[in-house]
Amino acid sequence: MKDKTNKKEGPSAAEAVAARPDNSAETAVDSAKESPAKPQAVKEEMIHLIVFKLGAEEYGIKIDQVKEVTVTPNVTRMPRTPDFIKGVANIRGDIIAIMNLEERFGIRSVPLASDVNPHITYTLVIEAKEYSIGVIVREVPQSLNLSMTKIDKTPSFLQDINIHENFIEGIAKVNNRLIIVLDMYKILTQDEIRELKNN
Amino acid sequence: MKSREQEYKEIFIAEALEYYDALNRLISELEKKPQDDQVLAEIFRMLHNLKANAKAIGYLQISDVSHKLETAFGLIRNKELSFSDEVVGVLFDGIDLLGELIKSIDSERQVEIDPVLIRNLDIIVDSLSDSTVELAKVQKFSTSRNLTLSDLIYIQVKKLDHLMNLVGELIIDRDRILSLSRELDNDELKSVSSHLYRITEELQYSVMDARLVSIGTLFNKFPRVVRDISTAEKKEIDLELSGQDIQIDRNILQIMTDSLLHLMRNAITHGIEKPEQRAKAGKPKAGSLQLSARSDRESVIISLSDDGKGIDIEKVKKAAVARQLVPADVADGLPDSDVYSFLFEPGFSLAKEVTEFSGRGVGLDVVKNAIDSIGGRIRIESEKGKGTSFILQLPTSIAVKGALLFEIDSIFYAIPLIHTDSVVAMDKDELHEVGEVLVADIKGETVTVVYLDELLNVAESQMRLGDKTRLKGQVQNIIIVSYNNRKLGLIVDKLYRQQDIVVKPLSKPLDSIDIYGGVTLLGTGKVCLVLDVPAITKYFVNRR
Repeated sequence: MKDKTNKKEGPSAAEAVAARPDNSAETAVDSAKESPAKPQAVKEEMIHLIVFKLGAEEYGIKIDQVKEVTVTPNVTRMPRTPDFIKGVANIRGDIIAIMNLEERFGIRSVPLASDVNPHITYTLVIEAKEYSIGVIVREVPQSLNLSMTKIDKTPSFLQDINIHENFIEGIAKVNNRLIIVLDMYKILTQDEIRELKNN
Repeated sequence: MKSREQEYKEIFIAEALEYYDALNRLISELEKKPQDDQVLAEIFRMLHNLKANAKAIGYLQISDVSHKLETAFGLIRNKELSFSDEVVGVLFDGIDLLGELIKSIDSERQVEIDPVLIRNLDIIVDSLSDSTVELAKVQKFSTSRNLTLSDLIYIQVKKLDHLMNLVGELIIDRDRILSLSRELDNDELKSVSSHLYRITEELQYSVMDARLVSIGTLFNKFPRVVRDISTAEKKEIDLELSGQDIQIDRNILQIMTDSLLHLMRNAITHGIEKPEQRAKAGKPKAGSLQLSARSDRESVIISLSDDGKGIDIEKVKKAAVARQLVPADVADGLPDSDVYSFLFEPGFSLAKEVTEFSGRGVGLDVVKNAIDSIGGRIRIESEKGKGTSFILQLPTSIAVKGALLFEIDSIFYAIPLIHTDSVVAMDKDELHEVGEVLVADIKGETVTVVYLDELLNVAESQMRLGDKTRLKGQVQNIIIVSYNNRKLGLIVDKLYRQQDIVVKPLSKPLDSIDIYGGVTLLGTGKVCLVLDVPAITKYFVNRR
């Protein structure tokens, strides 16, 4: 959240960089948009992802679609909802639906690495246009800055897979990692709602 | 509670003062641009409304002066009177007089109307443009002008809705703090939280109160509606209104408006007979319609009764059988209340002909849905040849409702009290497996009973609602709910207290799951699911 406010109100690129040296890449993106007077600060367009594991693969969501990341609170099961809806939880007074993307997309679950605590899961609170929804992940999500050029927006294999292609925004390749970038807004559109209604 | 007269008076004054302010603005504008037809039309419209309103409520002086001014502006509009300096002066004086009269309504002071001013007005109106008659000087009454603002404000309902939502959130947090203070056992915290409790409670009632309107605001529209429909139907109707002073949440009344109109049309077109038929039946020529409202604990009961031909039970049964809603042999044995509930099925109609006002296939199901949506109930009483009554039980407020809390499979649930009839504890042996369901004799009435854990938590393919062995324990807690004239017993695991809850609507994408009316947070911070009784009943019926 803090990042977002700073992004909008940051007095100048230089100050913001000084204040948060760890996040310089992101600030560079802003300065490209907001202060064209200092183009020398920009080399290439960057993208900030929250990266998490579903099954054996790594997935990413753009940070501006993520409202917060929290240890999964107590989830109240809601009978007669689809299996991938784990229930509802109280997150800062808002009661939001919590869903499991592995079950939603039929991704095969793999055993956890030995150093991961099986009793704690994490919830990414995704902010769609009209509402929020929680997505459960089993390992601590990571934050990753990378250049836009690392994202292949239209990999040819997308035509080969039969489902969800609309949800995949692109494939990022960094340091031998392959990260599937999801567009959460599309995941949370009409399709989702219709699926619930038919249940 | 204010009397209706007082309320109308205040609303009239507020509106009239608004007109007065606008008139002052417009006439000043007109003085600069005498040719502006739009401004002139606006002035004309305002004076006309003011005249009509004043006349309706009995302020004849105001309506009289408005009338004279309206005539003058009418002449100006038709170019029969020129908007000259002299005329302008008289018109300004006239509008000032209006202002004085409006302001004097609420004070003891009587305004002396200057006869010279009235004469001046008459002169410009009567003698038309060729007037040469001297206009006499008028003594100004208000040499030093006081600027006053109205005591009433208009507010968008949206803003009140927002306020109500915020209060709801506050109540949830208050309950949490209260329960924390008990856990921590800190005296200071306890005293602060009990003070917080009282203040939020007062705030809640104040906001609820600000949203209340008299039911008369809707009822008083009906005499005209009834007149129009009965004229078209060639029937004579005496409409009797009562309970207009009863207060109800504005949004609830808004949602009920179409439903009441629908019931009213039904009563006139289908309920009440033609005069000649009434004469044959030995009834007075004019049919009687009674629309009444009364308060009953936390709800408002609206009933609409006619003395018409009543509902023909046999016809309803036949239509229900024809539409395959029920097998013929079962239909014969159904109690009347169950038969009436068919009337609320979508598309169910007994009307043979379509008239301008009813029988277009828009049926009572629409009324039922509207009432369900606000958590109310509807009931029919009818006697053949004597008449029919529709009885609507509506909550006074949408946001906060009394509810019964219980637990199933370690999850907390609530059911709004408006749908609960009673709660009983019953031995397992008193439940009987009949067909695919369980039934029990509850106070002499045979009621279908359903194990909620089975209905909610067992995979639909393995659900066995008529299997007693699925029950846990010997003594069963049963909540008897009622919907659409039929009772249903719900077996729960643990029964808790009765409590006022703030129902939060489910956010997307869960809002499409209709068995839940919403959620609420308990004082412990736990989420509690609010079951929607109409939807649960329907779900159960469809399962079977």
